[in-house]
Amino acid sequence: MNKLLDLRFVIGLFFLATGSLLVGHYVIVGKSQGDYPTINLWSGMGFLLFGVFMVLLSLRKEEEG
Amino acid sequence: MKLQLIDYLVIAIYFLFVITIGYVLKKKIKTGNDFLMSNKSIPLWITSLAFISANLGAQEVLGMAANGAKYGLYTVHFYWLGAALAMIFLGIYMMPFYYGSKARSVPEYLALRFDEKTRGFNAITFAIMTVFSSGVSLYALAMLLNIVLGWDFNVSIFLAAGIVFVYTFLGGLTSAVYNEVLQFFLIVLGIAPLVFIGLDKVGGWEGIVKSVEDSKLHLWKGMSSAATNPMGVDAFSLVFGLGFVLAFGYWCTDFLVVQRAMISRNLNEAQRTPIIASVPKVLMPAIVIMPGIILLALQSQFTGYELPTNANGQTDYNMVLPLLLNKLYPNGILGIGITALIASFMSGMAGNVTAFNTVFTFDIYQSYIKKNASEKHYLYVGKATTVVGILISIATAYIAKSFNSIMDLLQLVFSFINAPLFATFFLGMFWKRTTANGAFWGLVSGTAAAALTHGLTTAEGKGGWIANLHDFYSGTSHAFNIAWISFVVCLISTALISLVTKPKDKESLVGLVYSLTPKQKDTSKVWYKNPLVLGCIVLVTTLILNIIFY
Repeated sequence: MNKLLDLRFVIGLFFLATGSLLVGHYVIVGKSQGDYPTINLWSGMGFLLFGVFMVLLSLRKEEEG
Repeated sequence: MKLQLIDYLVIAIYFLFVITIGYVLKKKIKTGNDFLMSNKSIPLWITSLAFISANLGAQEVLGMAANGAKYGLYTVHFYWLGAALAMIFLGIYMMPFYYGSKARSVPEYLALRFDEKTRGFNAITFAIMTVFSSGVSLYALAMLLNIVLGWDFNVSIFLAAGIVFVYTFLGGLTSAVYNEVLQFFLIVLGIAPLVFIGLDKVGGWEGIVKSVEDSKLHLWKGMSSAATNPMGVDAFSLVFGLGFVLAFGYWCTDFLVVQRAMISRNLNEAQRTPIIASVPKVLMPAIVIMPGIILLALQSQFTGYELPTNANGQTDYNMVLPLLLNKLYPNGILGIGITALIASFMSGMAGNVTAFNTVFTFDIYQSYIKKNASEKHYLYVGKATTVVGILISIATAYIAKSFNSIMDLLQLVFSFINAPLFATFFLGMFWKRTTANGAFWGLVSGTAAAALTHGLTTAEGKGGWIANLHDFYSGTSHAFNIAWISFVVCLISTALISLVTKPKDKESLVGLVYSLTPKQKDTSKVWYKNPLVLGCIVLVTTLILNIIFY
């Protein structure tokens, strides 16, 4: 529960969840229609990276502490 | 626009997170101070992002994209001229008085510096403005969900209000601030891909330069006259009206944003909060204005990008962002984009509700109804005020539905209230001779001058309800001119009345007035902890950007 009080961890979790959804959607459904069929994949990967970065930031402080 | 399961899942995850944040923070809330002031325990990076996010409401995200299409690059003035300088001034010069005086709100500072009647005037006008503003955010969100997604208006109102209620009621200001930061990242990361693919589609900045008329791709060109730029504003009203009066009036005195800095852990962080927030603020046009300019290029290069018309038969610029989301985003990322829009509305509403309950509890209830009650008592009052604030917001949303001009009216009311208020603060903080009677009657006369100017002038068919002495080129120009006139009237009235009334003794003004407050030397040797150095860096950067996009 204490970890959930760290906003970086919460934001990291949120973007890991939404990023996984976007990447998962691309893997299951495939390329979407329109001019940018891989936008879900690339955005999802960007979200995942940002999510990992925020979670690592929250863990780093814990180690330092 | 048809959402699929994946989009609804994204929206559901967002709702789940915001409510969970409120629930988790509930355990930390023990007193009224925890609920209404976050016990002054919020780290710098959170206060800075919350500071900018409290302003990142519906008007910002939808409205600035709309202005981008309507006025082009000139819209950037609202950021580089109309925000950055005022935010830096707040951090360097005004925050030491807000934070150092131990005031819990802007009206409370007015009580310490002047008297109770000045505080009461500001607290009541501010409380009314915030709940109305919150209701208008709610109305705009429900309209958007109704038009774009086909959701029922009533369901949208109660769903959005219910979610904001749950997380602000459970976790108070801390919950609102935490959610504002989450919303900030969601808005930026949710709209950034739209800008990226939009730019790619039109051939990058070069494609925009080739496709969009040159008159919409400058900041200062044609500003010598209101007739020679798309904004319909001349350089004087832009610089004095927007850059000085409106910008400083909003960023330096509006408790909605100032509150985010006042909950910092110490004075240095409180000072750096608005300055650090000014960095993303300077960059924000790339996210919120660029979509409007991209749409202009898309309209020039492709078919199918025409904006719909509103009930009055005029082009509905507010549909810029929904149109682009619909055209450029496939399902999946579309859910992210829609959630970003929902987040911006909820952020605006929660910011107003939390500012409302703080001002009502401390500046109205504690000052005039029940003094010296226990902390537990003020916690209950704060929570009850949250319920009332949400209910009034819902009622206001339905009023807004009945009167289609209420948004314009609200903007006007803001310029009536904030512009003269800055004159009061400016004199109060930097001229020790300013008296309580001078401040109060100056505020009243400045507000009256704003109303009178609006009644005697028109723009785009609005105003002139007394007589029509002058017609401005645009509503924007009208607002800028009303602002500077009300500021000047308030400034002169306050000064004149102060000269003939008795000032407070000097001892009671220490910590409240610049010349009577001992200057604290910043002992920090690290440049990034020095507000002055940080402020200068942001200012120079903004100046360079102005030159580049001249």
